[in-house]
Amino acid sequence: MTKNHLAYRLKSVQHYYGSTKVLDIDDLKIEKGSITGLIGPNGSGKSTLLKLLAFAQKPSMGQIFYNGNMELPFSLSIRSKITLLTQKPYLLKRTVFENIVYGLKIRKEKNDLEQKVSKALLNVGLDYQKFAGRFWNELSGGEAQRVAMAARLILKPEVLLLDEPVANVDTESASLIRQASLNARKNWGTTLVIASHDLQWLYSISDQQLSIFKGNIFSTGIENIITGPFEKSGKKNLKKKLGDGQVITLSAPAKALCTAIIRKKDMSIHLEKHAGKSHFNQLAGIISSMLLEKKSKTIMASISIQDLSFTLKLSPDKIGQLDLYPGKKVFLKFAPGDVDWI
Amino acid sequence: MDFIVAGFIKAVKLLVNGDTATWTAVWATLKVSTGSMFLSIGAGLPCGFFLGYFDFKGKKFLRTILDTMLALPTVFIGLAVYAFISRQGPLGDFGLLFTLTGIAIGQTILAFPIVAAITASTIENIDQDLKLTIITLGAGKRHIIATCLWEVRYGILAAAVTAYGRVLTEVGISMMVGGNIKYHTRTITTAIALETNKGQFADGIALGLVLIIIAFIVNLSLSFLRKQ
Repeated sequence: MTKNHLAYRLKSVQHYYGSTKVLDIDDLKIEKGSITGLIGPNGSGKSTLLKLLAFAQKPSMGQIFYNGNMELPFSLSIRSKITLLTQKPYLLKRTVFENIVYGLKIRKEKNDLEQKVSKALLNVGLDYQKFAGRFWNELSGGEAQRVAMAARLILKPEVLLLDEPVANVDTESASLIRQASLNARKNWGTTLVIASHDLQWLYSISDQQLSIFKGNIFSTGIENIITGPFEKSGKKNLKKKLGDGQVITLSAPAKALCTAIIRKKDMSIHLEKHAGKSHFNQLAGIISSMLLEKKSKTIMASISIQDLSFTLKLSPDKIGQLDLYPGKKVFLKFAPGDVDWI
Repeated sequence: MDFIVAGFIKAVKLLVNGDTATWTAVWATLKVSTGSMFLSIGAGLPCGFFLGYFDFKGKKFLRTILDTMLALPTVFIGLAVYAFISRQGPLGDFGLLFTLTGIAIGQTILAFPIVAAITASTIENIDQDLKLTIITLGAGKRHIIATCLWEVRYGILAAAVTAYGRVLTEVGISMMVGGNIKYHTRTITTAIALETNKGQFADGIALGLVLIIIAFIVNLSLSFLRKQ
């Protein structure tokens, strides 16, 4: 992959709020024209990463390359190309029309504004006649989100960054935002990076998923996170007792780290528990959801074990072979040594 | 009680009959308070924006000084301005003592911390998503400042109204710096003080009513502007 194929490259990027490290990315590449999904719990660093990608903030350390060039906030070469839709969209205290043309006016574009606004509103399923004259405080949450989206789409951005775009909207709005995002890529080759908790929505739109936890990026998508506290189990292991009496045993980390990552690839799913003594972890759980990963055509199965949720990537053949479906009881198997600590 | 009723009746008569002394005091008040309000906005708005928008070393100290200035007594400002513009003072050559300009300078000092402090608080309370939104819509630094100010325009209007109310009703500066000279530097408030001292309560009430009417009209106009 040459640099010309890359929209972004982040090298040794770290970001701090005060003395707290919120992002630690060694090397991250995002291809031009791709749709990347960002998955992670609240406070994992998703919004901070999006702000850095939008060049709205400078990272505390490291470099961000855009189209192969190292860029900084307010750089003229990127200002008009990248736009971010924040989690809680802010609408200026003006009409919908004025909100949507704000970015164009900054770019000194004054021609055919009505036509452009009409098209942008149509893109997100809103009628120009009905909405253009409305004030910011005369919109519902979903309408405000779509107006904010239209204000970005009218700019035909090279990069569109969306932070929880469907968090507070109904199914219809979520579908319209999805379609508008896909149209942006189709029509203008826009690169999209989308953070969302709605995994079903995210998997339906993105080509690749990045999982982010405590500021660390996992380019293999969702990985399984087990947080402490752990108890000592022998000289080399730690154990975590679950509410139903099951125990997870993990090889202890070399340093004092407290969060364990179990990779999807290191886990297997079974219908029955292996008889006899085994040094593997064998945990009983229930399949809580199954999602199709669009690009790889594999299925992401989530398994609930007490208050923990594990995710595995399974082929459709495996699903058929084991006759898996949400609600079915299964066993997860992984070795204590197959763990990374952060 | 009779003198209060008489005061209302006289107020109407003074205004309707175009009493010269009353109308010159009204005119002087309007001129000097409007002038000082614009001067204080000119100085207080950028200072308030700077204090509210940027983070820098010593910001808290500057805010403390500004907040202290909010409590400055008008007689102290009057005294300080008097000292500066009197013949022996450093600005004595400009001949500002006992002029409306002199009063306006004092009232500007009175209104400046009000405008600056309210503007700073308004800017500090701006939704953080506003700045992020306009940056990511492509705004440069000039656009960010202009858009932020426009977004908090009602807060700034409130600062202007509060400052106007303060200068419109102050007595200390007008009395000390203006000298309460009839047909020249006599304002409504100094006239009320004088009439009350003379026992002319009716005249005092009449002028007080005029003051309230002016304040009402100003607030009504701003409320109308806000709706627009």
